Amino acid sequence: MIDADDRRLLERIARRDRVAFETFFRAHGGAVQRFVRDLVRDDGLAEELTSDVMVEVWRSAGKFGGRSRVRTWVFGIAHHKAIDALRKRRATLVPLDELLGAASDAETPESAALRADDRRRLDDALASLSADHRAVLELTFVEGFSQKEIAEIVACPVATVKTRAFYAKQRLRDALATAEQRP
Amino acid sequence: MTDHQIAELLPFYANGTLDAAERTRVEAELASCTSCAAELRELQSLGAALQLRAGDAPPLGQHVIDDALARIAVPPVTTAATRLRTAWWGTPARYATAAALVVGVGAAAAAAYHAHEADVARTAQGVAVTNADRTTTIFRVTPGPNGAPVVASNHTPVGAADAPKQVAQQNATESAPTVAKQHRLAKKAQLELLVRDVEGSLKQAQSVVRAAGGDVVALADSSPRTDAATHEAKLDVEVPASALDATLDRLAAIGTVQNRAIDAEDIDATIVDEEARLRNLRREEADLRKLMDKGGKVDEILTVQQNLSEVRGQIEQLQAQHAHDVHRVATSTISVALTEDRPNAVPAKPGPTARIDGAWHGGLNALADTVVTLLTTIVWCVAYAPFPLALGGLAYLATRLLNKRTASA
Repeated sequence: MIDADDRRLLERIARRDRVAFETFFRAHGGAVQRFVRDLVRDDGLAEELTSDVMVEVWRSAGKFGGRSRVRTWVFGIAHHKAIDALRKRRATLVPLDELLGAASDAETPESAALRADDRRRLDDALASLSADHRAVLELTFVEGFSQKEIAEIVACPVATVKTRAFYAKQRLRDALATAEQRP
Repeated sequence: MTDHQIAELLPFYANGTLDAAERTRVEAELASCTSCAAELRELQSLGAALQLRAGDAPPLGQHVIDDALARIAVPPVTTAATRLRTAWWGTPARYATAAALVVGVGAAAAAAYHAHEADVARTAQGVAVTNADRTTTIFRVTPGPNGAPVVASNHTPVGAADAPKQVAQQNATESAPTVAKQHRLAKKAQLELLVRDVEGSLKQAQSVVRAAGGDVVALADSSPRTDAATHEAKLDVEVPASALDATLDRLAAIGTVQNRAIDAEDIDATIVDEEARLRNLRREEADLRKLMDKGGKVDEILTVQQNLSEVRGQIEQLQAQHAHDVHRVATSTISVALTEDRPNAVPAKPGPTARIDGAWHGGLNALADTVVTLLTTIVWCVAYAPFPLALGGLAYLATRLLNKRTASA
């Protein structure tokens, strides 16, 4: 969906148009849920947060300044809510051994594209990163945001985004290498 | 540019979001730096793997959307009771009610009389305002006595439309102590317009609807075959509920309003009921899934699977109904009827049968009028008889008194 469409929908949402809200939700809800799920690593919490994010969009649609893309604004809300939820849970870094079970549960038979082992190693490696590093990887490679947009979403300088992206990739490579050496 | 600086830009080169200047710099480095090219290949592999992984993420569940829709369903200020409580004349009306209570029996009787009058006026104008649970709230507007349409929209305090407001005010005051109830209204509106150019007005109406974020769902345009026939068109549209009043006003401006009505049905209880049933069914489904996961004998698994399939079917059916009801609240339908207004059209000459029929009905009407006039005169005479009789009596007494005095003199 192009930004002009998003802006039109947002204007209608600001006028309390529930149809527009539902359309907006269907357009962006999946990506938001995927993003917050990677940060909080909890399916149930991710659904709650997605709902929270969209309700916030409903409440604040009239306050959208229009300085950035609507999608950037929505991911900014999502990031804020997810980090807030992580703070409340005191779980910014989930121990790897706890996640092995969760990662296995998340396996689906359809994931033919990635072999089960590779997929598990990637899940584990991502789980060992901090939420900040996971966020920057997800926003860069899955959602395709620019450095400036990510800086706006996670509320930090562009230089920090670049550094985080660099180190996130390094740590992910290290984690994958460690998993490779493990029997 | 150092290797580190290039390395920091590579993720954004890989995702194609670098600006032109940065991209040129990175590409220049990549041409000469083999380690940078290797780093880029790694990043591209990582991006592909992350995207594949994202494709396996659980899809957005309908229940997540339903949850948010339920959370944003704060009662909009559209119900008659709310409007009346918050209207500018609400405060004086409350004072008036208090004053009526203080004054006592006489004032109460007067208030009851006025309430009755308002009820009569409401029936006469075809306006019905009811605010009980699961009942219909209706605002109907018909042409006023001077031929001009009386628009009894919710914010227009005109003439007879005030009467039902007073009645509704009374209802609102009576129901005030109860807990505020959420209203989810499914609204339908009808609008009948007389227009000069049906085709042009049709296009105008369609653009008004599109501008309001709505859609045309049905269109019937019956072009006249002869010059004598009138061009008519009907249009059914859906608009966001929040834009209903504004859209109606804009559509009304296209021609001369013959009739304008809004029917609203409160389906909050239905939606709440559907949501509760959905929750229970989902719980049941989760329990059945747990049973499935535990495993067991083949026949047991098959039984659980059959139950699971039935529950899923019920969930899907209920979800569809729920989505439909939510849609009915979110969007309002308007039926617009456009009729060609032809003031200069020559009326067709009636045939002989029609003329005889007309003469017969004219004669009967004249006879009925004569009888009614006669009876009315008699009733007037009877009603006013005491006055001439009393005057006659007085004149008679005066005459006798005068005669007696003359005789004695």
